[in-house]
Amino acid sequence: MADSVTTAPVARRRFQPFGGKAGEILLEGVYKANPVTKQVLGICIFLAVTNRVANALVMGAALTFVTAMSNLFISALRNSIPRRIRMIAQVAIIATFVIMIDQFFRGFYWSMSKQLGPYVALIITNCIVMGRAEAYAMQNPPLPSLLDGIANGIGYAIILIFISIVRELVGSGSILGFTILPAAWYTKNLIFLLAPGAFFTGGFLIWILETISPSSQSEEGGERK
Amino acid sequence: MSNSARIIVFTVILGLVCSALLAGVNFATASYRKANERAEEVRNILAALNVPLPSDASQQELVKIFDRDIKQKRAGDLTVYEYAPAQGGGNVVAYAIPFTGAGLWGPVSAVLALEPDMKTIRGVRFYKQEETPGLGGEISSEWFQKQFNGKTIVSASGEPGFTVLKPETKAGPNAVDGITGATMTSSRVETMMTNIARDIYKEKANNGR
Repeated sequence: MADSVTTAPVARRRFQPFGGKAGEILLEGVYKANPVTKQVLGICIFLAVTNRVANALVMGAALTFVTAMSNLFISALRNSIPRRIRMIAQVAIIATFVIMIDQFFRGFYWSMSKQLGPYVALIITNCIVMGRAEAYAMQNPPLPSLLDGIANGIGYAIILIFISIVRELVGSGSILGFTILPAAWYTKNLIFLLAPGAFFTGGFLIWILETISPSSQSEEGGERK
Repeated sequence: MSNSARIIVFTVILGLVCSALLAGVNFATASYRKANERAEEVRNILAALNVPLPSDASQQELVKIFDRDIKQKRAGDLTVYEYAPAQGGGNVVAYAIPFTGAGLWGPVSAVLALEPDMKTIRGVRFYKQEETPGLGGEISSEWFQKQFNGKTIVSASGEPGFTVLKPETKAGPNAVDGITGATMTSSRVETMMTNIARDIYKEKANNGR
């Protein structure tokens, strides 16, 4: 016991809750490994809610909350979760947060809850949440995991908001409900309000981003949704 | 501890903690959710009945007006809300009948308000629906619902029923324009309107009203 005390590092260490990688974690989640444009995850919800900017904003915030909280708790429990049931444990934790936020919206943001309909509850099926839990939170300490969750949530939200601006503008001639293109001379392009509109816009965005900074072909695979 | 015992213990504890959290959240938000749902229903019945409301009425005010001026009755299988405004000497000036039907993607809840002749539409609200936003979802929009005002639930020849037309077809007394790009939702609205019109007529015949 005695020599373990003497050999313990005595040098004062700077407090680094994220292991000194905060910037890198953020950049990864928001841009370099963006869940939508690089990993093409969470597309079902992306198709459904990006027809209005307000919906995209709220969905982005809700997803950020769920990814951050589930990452934090799964990471805190990562050494006690038995390996064989880790998926079930992850889903239980994720579901708890999803139901919480759904109930919160129903209680306090009724009109928004009505607009998003079933999609808040469907965050549970969003591959980003479980993807981050499995790929990051299970291997890293709680605080970096929390940041990773936030970074991926923000990365998702930014793309959602960008796509929804294009779709709402072209499809309804408005942004956040304010008319930008008056109906007098602008014919609304309805297809942009439907799922194909999200595919067009999302496809173009991925194309542009790939042209600017191509991602390597040898990316890790994984189930896509 | 053996591996499977550990798994069981972990699962039970995790399950208990998660349920406790959810029960807590459910308990904390239950009264707000109930109030929201009730206010939503009340708001739509009042809107369909075209009750004059202060534009900034809070949920509590809506419920107060509702409780003061509206009585709920049963007529066969139908629920009927009688609107008898306090200022009007207690005479019933309109009826509201909630109804539901199948939309394209899910159930549609609506309320139909009729003048005392039980024929002329005073207002319609399609308030709970899962139709395609921007297309079928437009059935909840002001322009679509407004078209119903003053229409009848019987045809010119006295047959109960309703028609939701393809755009730019000629409208009759019991027809409104459908929604471009939402033919399926439009035709389902037609079906549910026709069903409720027939139900009301059946009930009217039974009661001799």
